[in-house]
Amino acid sequence: MNGAQHILEAFHRHNIQTVFGYPGGCIMPLYDALVDDARVEHVLCRHEQGCALAADGYARASGKLGVCIATSGPGATNLITGVANAHRDSIPMLVITGQVPSALIGTDAFQETDVLGMTLGIVKHSYLVESADELPEILEEAMALAQTGRPGPVWVDIPKDILLAQTTAMPNSPLAQPEATCPDVGPAIAMLRAAQKPLLYSGGGISLAHAEECFREFAECSALPAVVTLKGIGNPGKHSAHNLGMLGMHGSRAANRAVDECDLLLVIGARLDDRATGKLDGFAPNAQTIHIDADAAEFNKLRSADLTVRGDLNTILGELTRALREAPLAINAWRKQCQIWRTTGGFQAADNEEPLAPITGPAFVRQLSRVAPDDTIIACDVGQHQMWVAQHYQFDHPRHHLTSGGLGTMGFGLPAAIGAQFANRKSTVINVAGDGSFMMNAQELATIRRYNLPVKLIIMDNQCLGMVRQQQELFYNNRESHINLDDNPDFVALARAFDIPALKIERTDQVRRGIETILAYNGPMLLHVAIARQENVWPIVKPGGSNKEMIDETRRLAADKKEMTA
Amino acid sequence: MTTENSHKTPSYTITCRMSHEAAALERLCQVVRIRGFRIAKMAVESSIAGADEILEIALTIQGHRPVAMLQSQLEKLHTVAEVILTAPALVPAASRRA
Ligand SMILES: Cc1ncc(C[n+]2csc(CCOP(=O)(O)OP(=O)(O)O)c2C)c(N)n1
Repeated sequence: MNGAQHILEAFHRHNIQTVFGYPGGCIMPLYDALVDDARVEHVLCRHEQGCALAADGYARASGKLGVCIATSGPGATNLITGVANAHRDSIPMLVITGQVPSALIGTDAFQETDVLGMTLGIVKHSYLVESADELPEILEEAMALAQTGRPGPVWVDIPKDILLAQTTAMPNSPLAQPEATCPDVGPAIAMLRAAQKPLLYSGGGISLAHAEECFREFAECSALPAVVTLKGIGNPGKHSAHNLGMLGMHGSRAANRAVDECDLLLVIGARLDDRATGKLDGFAPNAQTIHIDADAAEFNKLRSADLTVRGDLNTILGELTRALREAPLAINAWRKQCQIWRTTGGFQAADNEEPLAPITGPAFVRQLSRVAPDDTIIACDVGQHQMWVAQHYQFDHPRHHLTSGGLGTMGFGLPAAIGAQFANRKSTVINVAGDGSFMMNAQELATIRRYNLPVKLIIMDNQCLGMVRQQQELFYNNRESHINLDDNPDFVALARAFDIPALKIERTDQVRRGIETILAYNGPMLLHVAIARQENVWPIVKPGGSNKEMIDETRRLAADKKEMTA
Repeated sequence: MTTENSHKTPSYTITCRMSHEAAALERLCQVVRIRGFRIAKMAVESSIAGADEILEIALTIQGHRPVAMLQSQLEKLHTVAEVILTAPALVPAASRRA
């Protein structure tokens, strides 16, 4: 077998059936090998960024390894944003690129770029393969590495001569993983028992560790008031009575208030990112912190913890549940208080009853949440619409909410939805995009058409880069700078050019019908939703500000009025 | 105005053992830089241990961030086998610029 065939063998060994890629000169031996291989489905995206983000969406939705492939030079550089996106959100991904032949490396050969050097900061690990004999072992190691511990993208750059070279080398049999031993959770239980106002704070680490069920059991058994990060949305389930919602910059008042008042923060699978904590000085000022994570490098990085527990989250959560089942926590007064905040400070948006009124973002998302089936996967883009989804859509599982958390990559949603649909052929998959984000990877409409994927596309069109406009309005004296998109293309015509049916809605009375129409359609369909340009996401914490200082619409209007009368 | 403290940058010596793969040193230096430290001195020696080629790297680094954070990030690198940190010393700003 040559190197290229070894790659396909590695895919078979690991039951990898779907890969996302784009061919070119130095990766041609692999594409040649694909001709004779019916077991791997290769999905041709229309831009390498689309390949990487589709592989990312596939991995997020399935919990399996996402694989993307590209050629050297521009193929590899086009992958970079998608790989960085996976890196920042710890998504397991195998990236394979062709490289110029070994003898030409360092000669400025056609389509040569120093892929290894360029990507050091955005991978969990990377390899430049130096001989065909080491390729099978490197592939084996790369796949294991991408998926174990804290997952992440692993990049294997393979010179063309190595893809063509014959080798009989086989990978060593995988090292047996040591049984996960459980660290002592006794001190954590003691701190939980001593606390009067303990709060559960969970993030994306729960689904990364495949610990969704154990988490749910723990959350229910402990009945701890709970907050989630953007990537932790769905952890507690939509029926949880204790969930106060997302915290942070666009978090609920209830969640931020509970963090402010709690005396113990139990952080599980979260990294205390700045969008969640706001200004660190003012964050959870009265609380001790227990930090539980698979990655020791997250401990004490931003906030020093009183207790750290490192290990497999499934095992640790199981132990915590067992201990609390024996003797539940006596925190009823605190639970009651949090319930009050939940009622008064949860995400609220009035459903507009006026049929001819313009559509508002939050009301639209609420309607979508009511109408879409339970197993729906929403792949978001980045901006105001992303926050409305995070605030108002009721997710029952973290893998149903695909969002670019760490990198905040506009253009994520459409390719991620493609990946998610390949991973879950029967589920409803919806890309909720802004008009700005949609245009970043609109070429992937061709991928949807080619594979006849029944992905539903929703563009919440406010004719501007809404999230930037909002910050310019609130924090830059309303000085709008380069956010205007009122010359957007006709999105309905654009979709139709790709042979994807589409319809546009503009009024409240069209919302339900519009959503039902695209959901009922047997195939891909686009819904163009016109919303008001000036709409903002509320509440908001000023970037760099403390979560205590949330601004909401009424407070801002009051401040404006004061200014006007002054 | 500068304070007494801002004249001094804590300095640390780290020794690191890692496998000698492509871009091994770049990977190490990249982490040191992005996590907030400057390399003031670096000595590298390679050796063979069984089938593996090993790099022993002695680094003197300077920075204001907690060095334990850097240590745990370096330990996470797949090719790094060991990171040993020796006690810090404060370096006057003048010698930093030298
Ligand atoms: C690739 C990329 N470029 C720039 C940004 C900065 N950015 C964040 S939100 C945003 C506006 C997004 O506009 P749109 O997709 O229309 O969504 P809206 O906020 O209007 O809902 C921009 C430009 C980004 N996150 N990603």
